[in-house]
Amino acid sequence: MSGASNPSQPMDPTGHEDPEKLAEFEQRIADGVLIEAGDWMPDAYRMGMLGMAEHHANSEIIGALPEGEWITRAPSMRRKLALTAKVQDEVGHGQMLYRVSQELGKSRDDMLRDLVTGKTKYHNCFNYPAPTWADIAMIQWLIDGAAIMNQKTLADGAYGPYVRTMNRINMEEAFHFKSGEDMVLTLMSGTPGQKKMTQEAFDRWWPVSLMFFGPADKPNAESRPPMRWRMKVERNDSLRQRFVNRFAPAAQDLGLTVNVVTKDDKGYVTSATPDEALMLDEATGNWSFTQPDWDEFWRVIRGNGPCNQHRLSLRRFSYEQGGWVRRAITSGTVSTPPAA
Amino acid sequence: MSKIREQLIQHEGDLAPGTPDTEHWIVYTQKKPEARFRWAGSLNAPDLELALQFSSEHYGLDEACVAILTHHARFAHDGPCGFEPLEAGDSAGDDGTSWCVFGLPRRGGNLELLGTINAPDSTEAIARGTTAYANGRIVQFRVVPEEHITISDGRGGLIWRLHDMNYKFAKGYSKGVREKWTRIRDAETYEDYRKEDIHKHF
Repeated sequence: MSGASNPSQPMDPTGHEDPEKLAEFEQRIADGVLIEAGDWMPDAYRMGMLGMAEHHANSEIIGALPEGEWITRAPSMRRKLALTAKVQDEVGHGQMLYRVSQELGKSRDDMLRDLVTGKTKYHNCFNYPAPTWADIAMIQWLIDGAAIMNQKTLADGAYGPYVRTMNRINMEEAFHFKSGEDMVLTLMSGTPGQKKMTQEAFDRWWPVSLMFFGPADKPNAESRPPMRWRMKVERNDSLRQRFVNRFAPAAQDLGLTVNVVTKDDKGYVTSATPDEALMLDEATGNWSFTQPDWDEFWRVIRGNGPCNQHRLSLRRFSYEQGGWVRRAITSGTVSTPPAA
Repeated sequence: MSKIREQLIQHEGDLAPGTPDTEHWIVYTQKKPEARFRWAGSLNAPDLELALQFSSEHYGLDEACVAILTHHARFAHDGPCGFEPLEAGDSAGDDGTSWCVFGLPRRGGNLELLGTINAPDSTEAIARGTTAYANGRIVQFRVVPEEHITISDGRGGLIWRLHDMNYKFAKGYSKGVREKWTRIRDAETYEDYRKEDIHKHF
């Protein structure tokens, strides 16, 4: 579901590396050659790719939590099957991305432990609540739609193992997006109550979707390692603009209003007014829009979002509850499982 | 959200001790009976039996396929990855045990099972594999002893798609999405939207 984070920024590519090897590496990247796991690469590149793939993997498995809550409450058997399959896909994506990360030098157990102890992050968007079925529709339509846009560009990156994993993941994301689109269309073709519920969910998820791509890049982003080394290939603002161009008119066609909202500390909307900045510039084809609340973005990323504690405590619960199984299969040691 | 879902699980004390990573298995799927096995992904599992179950549940149900090939990662021997396609070498022979030869058609691509060759060790297996299969179309070879390859074609107890599973593919929603959109937009506008949707964004 989730796109990767910005690769960590403070990377000095020249420090202790062999200048000749570094120059060859950079020339290959510039020539469009993909890097494979066995190739020489600067430490900063390895660490940056590890951070990116690990963040992405964390996001996949944490992202399964808000949707997993709704499997038992899906409104029909077909929706239940689809949601179950989607959640399974997301966890599978986590599995594949942890594998990419393992090959870059970090053990899977270390990654799972760093996640539950808060040493590493996952995508901010999963720190928001999904109180209604319409939120599940919005996650699949907007967040998965944003993820596909982002991951399609990541599949044009330079690290071969990540690229082939992205290509495989994107194939499944198309199902997630279409399922979400179908759910939103169904709800907006329904009763006034369903339409109201959908608008309220849209209000909760539209600003989160805009934040999905991350804050604006630095002006010299193209010359800095993450873009110069093609770990990411498109600016965050550029992806955000493409997202708005795609989804704002579709939302309006559906009868949804793009609002500027304020939220309380539980992530619920306290006020919503139509986004007066939202309009199409015929000359450029771009839609103008109001930026999301970036102060909120930083607050949530620092651990103070509506659901940060819930997500991590549930993830830690799963990790600790599964510990006796892992010990049994890796060392043959069986001890009483911890009390639930 | 219901009260029970709002409940915050409280944790006391340090995190439980860690565990070593379980074994690493590599999975390839075959989409049609005569098609080549192609890399699908990898997984962690403690033994072959669970690896086969996981690969069936995960990779076997992700896309239509007729068989799954699995091997433990430690049995894979990779040759160097070239920047240009490799040309055929001159190593030949029929001695030794049987090795499965996989080829990477391009960097960032997926390994494919090309066939088998006999060789006394992995180095010679890669050399003979290069002679037999390179032909300017492969950038890297992997060889795996055939005895460590497990192929499951569904007759060994794996569960394959026996019923309608359209709900887990994008195409399963095409008709419904089209009908619902065209109730909102006219058919021509929807067609433009759909084409743009696929080509520009997905």
